[in-house]
Amino acid sequence: MASHRLSSVSEEEPCCDISRKTKICLCVFFGLLIAVVIAVPVGILMWPRPHKEWKGEGTTAHFYEILLGRCYTYTQIVRPELGHKDCQKIGKAFTGAFLSKDPCSSTEQDYKPLMELTDQAVPCDKTLLWSKSSQLAHDYTRVRQAMFTLEDTLLGYMADGLRWCGDSGSSDMNYKSCPNWREDCSNNSFSVFWNTVSKRFAEDACGVVHVVLNGSISNTFDERSTFGRVEVFNLRPEKVHRLQAWVMHDIGSARSDSCSSSSINVLKRILKERSIAFSCENNYGPIRLLQCVKNPDHPSCRF
Amino acid sequence: MTARGLTPSLLLLLLLVVVAGAGGARWRGEGTTRHLESIMRGRCAEYIARLNPDQRDKNCTALWEAFRMVLLRKDPCSVFPSDYDLFINLSRHSIPRDKSLFWENNHLLVTSYTESGRRLMPLCNVLYGRFGDFLSWCRQENGSGLDYQSCPSSEDCENNAVDSFWRRASMQYSRDSSGVIHVMLNGSEPAGAYPIKGFFADFEIPYFQKDKITRIEIWVMHDIGRPKAESCGEGSVKILEDRLRKMGFQYSCINDHPPVKLLQCVDHSTHPDCALNSKFCTRRWA
Repeated sequence: MASHRLSSVSEEEPCCDISRKTKICLCVFFGLLIAVVIAVPVGILMWPRPHKEWKGEGTTAHFYEILLGRCYTYTQIVRPELGHKDCQKIGKAFTGAFLSKDPCSSTEQDYKPLMELTDQAVPCDKTLLWSKSSQLAHDYTRVRQAMFTLEDTLLGYMADGLRWCGDSGSSDMNYKSCPNWREDCSNNSFSVFWNTVSKRFAEDACGVVHVVLNGSISNTFDERSTFGRVEVFNLRPEKVHRLQAWVMHDIGSARSDSCSSSSINVLKRILKERSIAFSCENNYGPIRLLQCVKNPDHPSCRF
Repeated sequence: MTARGLTPSLLLLLLLVVVAGAGGARWRGEGTTRHLESIMRGRCAEYIARLNPDQRDKNCTALWEAFRMVLLRKDPCSVFPSDYDLFINLSRHSIPRDKSLFWENNHLLVTSYTESGRRLMPLCNVLYGRFGDFLSWCRQENGSGLDYQSCPSSEDCENNAVDSFWRRASMQYSRDSSGVIHVMLNGSEPAGAYPIKGFFADFEIPYFQKDKITRIEIWVMHDIGRPKAESCGEGSVKILEDRLRKMGFQYSCINDHPPVKLLQCVDHSTHPDCALNSKFCTRRWA
């Protein structure tokens, strides 16, 4: 740095062996350097970062409006006995579980506030689980409204069919993509949610619990499914004395007795170890009728 | 209700009902659904995002505003179908050919059968129908807010907000329907399967577009285990058939259309009428 002299300096007089031109250049240089040193971190902090790119489908368009609308529909119309629930609080707790967070590091804890606000008792003997039979199970509870699948409870109803994720670098939802369970990470906000609510749904069940299974696939009881991994292991033996399986086969399928299959034997064994009784019925009548609605011309569906 | 022959205890009961239940309610109908705006906006958002993504360019905010304008500017007994013109113009969309389903007196069965529009698309699965399905709304008589206590029923006044909405929606639905038209009627309804005065008779049939419709298929459903009040070719169903014939429509009528009857049987699987001609045994294993 040049030392200062208090005496007036003529334009042509050099100072500290540097020409005036060089001095100006140096000043400009340092000025720019300081500006960059300040501006870059500020820019990084303030500039909206593009969301990370994942392999799965992004957050559902209009996610929050749909969520809130469903909460009100459920608490005002579907089950008005829950009319006291605060949907604004519930909506905020839901998004609070994943916004501004790494979508691959989701935990049960993230969803705790939401879980507490949406507690709902399902009457005994009315819990209906399902695995690889979503359409059929839900068609059934649409008709038999006294029974509940997870998606017939408030929280399941709100989240059913929607997708969501956030980003640790942003307070927005990522509408472009979300982590895929297999190709990105398994502890993603979407999968952790369903594991958490499924666990509670099973824990809360009492009496005889029913499950709709698909007899037309090889692993009718799939140990990697949510039913196989989470629900079966969280049924409480002191509350649930029996699990009744309804194994449905496709209309016209040659196969009709998957209750005797090896995968069902695995399920039976697991339940026996947990002191829960098991019974199995092939092609339960009422659900068979539902299958026939879509295949009315099949000989086995004629009156 | 007249006071003829009311005993003191009945009077007291009536008073209690009025005080406790109705609490000074102005009208006979159900009050505005709570959180109406959130529910309607949510349904609209869900419709365009998930149920019918072809309609993703619809503007749910504009729809709500158009709806709200009718709601807040008009007296509860002075709402006319044409008041909803803007709302309908913003929300209308084409209905797939051969997918229209008209109905009377079997709302729940229709909802179950049509499964979110994948098989058929009744009015409640069209955007403007979805908006109002199962909801209730009206403005206060002396005020600018919504009346949550009660709303005029058709017995209170004809030109109430909800009935006029469904009249306008029905007219539009009819106009936009094409191909094979399906009609589901309730043959167990004692008052008649085809109401001679009703939404279908007054606001749908008159708006059928003859040049777009190929034929009309009527299903007269009967409740399982209940008496059959009317069937095809009988009573009010005959009146409907005559009317359609006079209008020049090709029509057919089926009693207990099997796919729908199968659905009704889910809740009555052990009833003899629901026995399937099935060679497949269900084997119990425990």
